Amino acid sequence: MVAQNIFFGILAAIVAISALRMVTTRNIVHAALYLVAVLAGLGALYVLLTAEFVATTQVLVYIGAVMVLFLFGIMLTKAPLGNVMEMTGRQWPLAAVVAALLGGVTIYSLVDRFGSERLNTDGPIYRTADVSDEVFSTYIVPFEAVSVLLLAALIGAIVLARKD
Amino acid sequence: MATQSVLAFVGPSVNWWALLPQMILLGAALLIMLVSALAPKQTSTPFVTVTTMCAAITSYIVATGLWNDVQRDGPSSSIASAFGIDGFSIFFTMLILVALAATALLSHGYLDKEGIDAPEFHALLLCSAAGAIVMASANDLVVMFIGLEALSIGLYVMIAMHDRRQEARESAIKYFVLGAFSSAFLLYGIALTYGATGSTNLIHIRDYLGAVVFRDQHLLMAAMALLLVGLSFKVAAAPFHFWAPDVYQGAPSPVTGWMASVAKAAGFAALLRIFFAAFASHRIDWTPIVSVLAAVTLVVGAVMAILQNDVKRMLAFSSVSHAGYVLIAVQAATDQGTAAALFYLFTYTFMVLGTFAVVGAMGRDDDHPLANYAGLGRSRPVLAIGFTILLLAQAGIPTTSGFVAKFQVIAAAVNNKNYVLAGLAMITAVVGAFMYLRIVMAMYVDNEEQKSSVPSWHWSTKVVVIAMVGFTLLAGLVPQFLIEFAEDAVPILIRG
Repeated sequence: MVAQNIFFGILAAIVAISALRMVTTRNIVHAALYLVAVLAGLGALYVLLTAEFVATTQVLVYIGAVMVLFLFGIMLTKAPLGNVMEMTGRQWPLAAVVAALLGGVTIYSLVDRFGSERLNTDGPIYRTADVSDEVFSTYIVPFEAVSVLLLAALIGAIVLARKD
Repeated sequence: MATQSVLAFVGPSVNWWALLPQMILLGAALLIMLVSALAPKQTSTPFVTVTTMCAAITSYIVATGLWNDVQRDGPSSSIASAFGIDGFSIFFTMLILVALAATALLSHGYLDKEGIDAPEFHALLLCSAAGAIVMASANDLVVMFIGLEALSIGLYVMIAMHDRRQEARESAIKYFVLGAFSSAFLLYGIALTYGATGSTNLIHIRDYLGAVVFRDQHLLMAAMALLLVGLSFKVAAAPFHFWAPDVYQGAPSPVTGWMASVAKAAGFAALLRIFFAAFASHRIDWTPIVSVLAAVTLVVGAVMAILQNDVKRMLAFSSVSHAGYVLIAVQAATDQGTAAALFYLFTYTFMVLGTFAVVGAMGRDDDHPLANYAGLGRSRPVLAIGFTILLLAQAGIPTTSGFVAKFQVIAAAVNNKNYVLAGLAMITAVVGAFMYLRIVMAMYVDNEEQKSSVPSWHWSTKVVVIAMVGFTLLAGLVPQFLIEFAEDAVPILIRG
């Protein structure tokens, strides 16, 4: 347990510092890369919680797909790169209040509900193999039907975007 | 340990035969895309239409075989109970396939006339149809949601396909934004249902709700409300109908017909399967909400339709009021009511497809003022007679299927002792009839100033209108076969 606690401390510090730097940096690309650090740190925390499937999904979806979309968005919209003073909107105190409120409510509800209750560590551990068993048995129809949905979306996007 | 679990894994049994209808449709969609990619010169609109028609017909034949199997051996479900194979799902499969064939023909005429060379249109139509079938057959809320999204994505793109028409694009954006909005409601409802019952599987939900008495059922009530709101958007029930007039008006007429028939039918299929079949033990909670929704929808549909001057907007509000009639049958929450709803949806599909076929033939422009129809009775007598029959059927005049449908719905409400709603339905039917008669009058009476441009009668429109009028009269004169068909198609949730 000790090793896990040490690693949790390190990872939590990385996540917290990166999150702070993400909202304070004046460079939009740096902000995006700090967000990568935040999301990767969270992924590592999931591994510590033995939720390796969630961790992999976190890396694939957030770092792999969402961040690439962000960077493409920055590239294609010709957003000003480099240090830009106007990056921080004028409503940032309001945003800070909202963030503080949200954080306060989350912490309060967690403490209120669980207090010093200890997590039951003897329960079953669900591994990626169990998840995949579920996906290929109970949830096989949604899993397959999504491919139809994606195909339709793909065809549709190409049809609407091409010029001819 | 890991190797052991791999060896122990047994996949769910799959009833391929029951999946064949939608697999044929998807296969045809892939074939169209593949051929259009490999041999773009050879993929003309006729090839694509013929492929789509063949897929629809083959699929229909398979569905007929399935229907006979289900009537003989009883309903079942397949693939971890996520996919229902009962009379209900096959009934809707057949309805969707009929609409698919008609829409494919009408789109052929539309693409021809507009000079669009787009094999993707029919591929998306096929995907959309497969999504609708999945939605109507789903025994699992997640599957239902994915079916709904596949149906809708096809629709969004089909509406926006015409790149020279700003109105179509605008209408597609409107439908997309509101569709996504309503999907969010539905998804939230699914999440809360999962929270309240511990499963997304409708069979499990029904068993759980039948066995467990809640100390407080706020979560379940919120789930029901959100599911109802999400699906009401899809079927255009008031007060969630605001998108309908604008979107119906801006969309190409064949797509409007598809939206009015299949999107509505699939929405009601989901509504019946969730509320009538899965939430059966809690009907006392949801029937009052649905009856209020039905009453509001009837009044809004009938009154707003009278105030319109554009034929497509009139028909949009008429489709809102039709949703109200089906909701009357849904709120009865009996087998009789559900059979009435199914009968209504089946006959309505034919009426609305025929109606929008005529509207599509009437002009290429997005606005269809009533004045355009002046003198149509003289310049195009056959078209005018067909249109008249379809409009009278929508109004519910005897000898048409619309009369039988309305009669059954009202009978279901009366048997359920909901006399207020039955009375309201009769009054709004009279009010609504005024709107249909206004269009008929315009065609025959004021032919002083011959404003109507003589519409071009594409052969595909002819075929569709004649078929739809023929069925509307047939089901109005000898409705018994269709009544029995609908009675055999009441949804049954069964573990398989």
